[in-house]
Amino acid sequence: MADGVTTARVAGDTEAGAAGSRLADFLETLDEPATLLERRRRAWERYAELPMPTRKSEEWRYTDLSGLDPESYEPFAPESGEEESRDAGDLPEQAARLLEGMEARGAVAVRVDGRTLHRRLDPALAERGVLFAPIRRVARERPELLAERLYTSDVAPMEEKLWSLHVAMLTGGDVLYVPDGVRVPEPVHVLRWAGEGDRLLSTHTLVVTGREAEVTWVEEYLSPDLERPLLSLSGLEVFAGDGATVRYLALQRYGRGVKHFSVQHLLAGRDTRLSGLNVNLGGDLARDDVTSHLEGPGSESEMLALWFGDGEQHFDHHTLQHHAAPHASSDLLYKGALTDSARSIFRGLIRVDRGAQLTDAYQTNRNLLLSEHCHATTLPNLEIEADDVRCSHGATVGQVDEGMLFYLMSRGLTRRTAERLLVFGFFDEVLERVPVEGIRERLRDAIGSKIGI
Amino acid sequence: MPYNETVEGLGLDEYKYHFVTKDKPVFKSRKGLSEEVVRQISAHKEEPEWMLDFRLRALEIFESKPMPTWGGDLSTMNLDEIYFYIRPQDRMQRSWDEVPEEIKDTFERLGIPEAERSVLAGVGAQYESEMVYHSLREEWENQGVIFESIEDGLKMYPDLFREHFATVIPPADNKFAALNSAVWSGGSFVYIPKGAKIDIPLQAYFRVNAERMGQFERTIIIVDEGSEAHYIEGCTAPQYSTESFHSGVIEIIVKKDARFRYTTIQNWSNNMYNLVTQRAMVHEHATMEWLDGNLGSKLTMKYPSCYLMGEGAHGEVLSIAYATDGQHQDTGGKVVHVAPHTTSRITSKSISKGTGRSSYRGLCKVYEGAVGSRSNVECDALLLDETSRTDTYPYIEIDENQATIGHEATVSKVGEEQLFYLMSRGLAEEEAMAMVVRGFIEPIARKLPLEFAIELNRLIELEMEGSVG
Repeated sequence: MADGVTTARVAGDTEAGAAGSRLADFLETLDEPATLLERRRRAWERYAELPMPTRKSEEWRYTDLSGLDPESYEPFAPESGEEESRDAGDLPEQAARLLEGMEARGAVAVRVDGRTLHRRLDPALAERGVLFAPIRRVARERPELLAERLYTSDVAPMEEKLWSLHVAMLTGGDVLYVPDGVRVPEPVHVLRWAGEGDRLLSTHTLVVTGREAEVTWVEEYLSPDLERPLLSLSGLEVFAGDGATVRYLALQRYGRGVKHFSVQHLLAGRDTRLSGLNVNLGGDLARDDVTSHLEGPGSESEMLALWFGDGEQHFDHHTLQHHAAPHASSDLLYKGALTDSARSIFRGLIRVDRGAQLTDAYQTNRNLLLSEHCHATTLPNLEIEADDVRCSHGATVGQVDEGMLFYLMSRGLTRRTAERLLVFGFFDEVLERVPVEGIRERLRDAIGSKIGI
Repeated sequence: MPYNETVEGLGLDEYKYHFVTKDKPVFKSRKGLSEEVVRQISAHKEEPEWMLDFRLRALEIFESKPMPTWGGDLSTMNLDEIYFYIRPQDRMQRSWDEVPEEIKDTFERLGIPEAERSVLAGVGAQYESEMVYHSLREEWENQGVIFESIEDGLKMYPDLFREHFATVIPPADNKFAALNSAVWSGGSFVYIPKGAKIDIPLQAYFRVNAERMGQFERTIIIVDEGSEAHYIEGCTAPQYSTESFHSGVIEIIVKKDARFRYTTIQNWSNNMYNLVTQRAMVHEHATMEWLDGNLGSKLTMKYPSCYLMGEGAHGEVLSIAYATDGQHQDTGGKVVHVAPHTTSRITSKSISKGTGRSSYRGLCKVYEGAVGSRSNVECDALLLDETSRTDTYPYIEIDENQATIGHEATVSKVGEEQLFYLMSRGLAEEEAMAMVVRGFIEPIARKLPLEFAIELNRLIELEMEGSVG
């Protein structure tokens, strides 16, 4: 990968680069390692070829993209990979406030509009070979970590349009590498703050762990309420080595005005343990597409999500539990509550390949509807091609229990407070599975302030 | 207790209806679909102008709609090779004696006349494109029950017919409903008057005999206020090397306080594409029950639906699918809650064997305003072989917060412990397997009116009872 250190410009004559396209113009301004530029260029061509998915496709049946015009967003300037890390004390007030209570972290990064303002990695971890750096720097210094991994996710055909846009327009991203046998006891936590509307923010994370390694990755998406819309595209690729444990948490608490699209692909080797939690509280529209590939025998995957939607919020969740190897297990629990005119969709698939015998796969989606005009759609799907399996799924849509409400109200609580307390209790089944105390409390606080208790 | 039975011994795989009858149809359309074929069908039936117009409009809709890309594989289906209309005889009979020998012979071998004599309220028999026989017991006729071929329904009761025809399933509903609307032929027209309670079933029997045949029956059933009835349909065809095609449209209106059950035992030969639209409008405090058994065909795509239109309506779908080598059963049910306090239940059991694939596909939709609605969907799938496949695709769309909806599905293989237990009691493995399979489908199988439909019994229940019971 010697050419990884040379730089090149994206050819201005790509067909995709139609005259007057601000996205194509963005590609022309870049100055970065050729391997990255080449990926952007291919993605941009793919993006230009593909039609925007419509509601006629099953994958986008409940989420209408017809009003989404990526050209109307100005991409944030990409990071150079060499940003100077400021001390926590020198950060803008908003970012500094977010860092409160984040002392117990193995590593921390604060990104504002895609650019890293603050980055800290526990020196003891660095000494043991843990790497936590911008993608762009890693492309120059450790290109072998990216080869065969970065952007290799087999995204579903109907996700490819936005995925290609994400790759082509990448603002910045991080690589977290944990070598064989290294255990990172405290979480690695990234805060991503976006402060401007009419902008396109694209962020990516690549997590690579060696054998028997262990790490917890936490990312938080934040913004104020924005008058002008923000398009947020995010990608996560996790390559977990044999016997490794990788935990992943995403807390999306953007302000209003944000459309957020997230694609997360996690790959498990032999006896790997994966655990992911997506919490969606903010934005106007949030769509998560989460895939666990269980490629090694004996691997386990836990997939969790929580959401609370109010106003006109729209949350769309797609999941795939892909059992490619025998003796693996996966367990999915997605719980959401909706009020006002909010809408949520859960579309989950358990796919068991031929030969993936002795699979245990479970999938549960539970929805609470708190108001007259909210809507929940749930599509828990199974495709099973092995016969010696235990698979089940369940989905429910209902209300908070009237008896419990009555009990709480008879103790003097208002109906609203009682209802919100019960929602909190409903979420607790998922929250109590979060193994890191500090993170669990942070999630509880975020949820508490969202639902108003 | 005979111990010589195996899963094969359940008779699910064995196909007994391969025989082909040599007959002389009085008319056979050209192969393929065209406006000319549609006009010919309408002319043969001496239809009023509005029906011809309806058919031609439906043909346009069919041509404008794309083939569905979901569900089963339709890419190998070639409609240009299909005969859309074959008229087996000049006019329909009301006495077996007058049915042409060859056709009578076919139904004799299927056991229909025997069943009629003993246990059925009325029988309709369709051979290729036309009903060849229709009769109803006098006692029901006297009560005002109408049980006619669809063609006679149109001729004899034009107003009642037109009031309901295509109101439950309009041609634009889906591509195959449009096709049926263009070329429909045969099927039943049933009216159960207010308060009538028919305690033994009406039965229609569908037989495809010719090669490359397309059968497009159309049935309308109106169950008036407070009445009760049960309708059974059975289907068979001989095995040809070429593919045949069956696409029915069944429209049912269950009025206030009425109860109706529609039972299908589909045992087409496994070269048949079976793409059927079945739907019931269920009014105030009425009950509709679909009992849907899919054992035959190459590919079945069929999702009986209940639209719960009136307060307190109840809909139920019991679905059983058995897919063996080369078969794909893409079946399930739909319940749509439109009115308050409506309830529904879908229970699906499927078995996949060899390279068979069973897919459950269903919809539970609750519209805003359907307060107090409850629905429960349960799907269980059993896989018998490493090469078998099962899928579950439920759609649950809830726009009303005062509703309680649950869905559950499980997939399993026959448990080693279950087999071990049975074998420790002296059963051979195959016998134990058969017993487990029987136990698996029993909750639905026991709802089959086994004392009524002899050919159905042969198919499932009797042989299973005999096998390990």
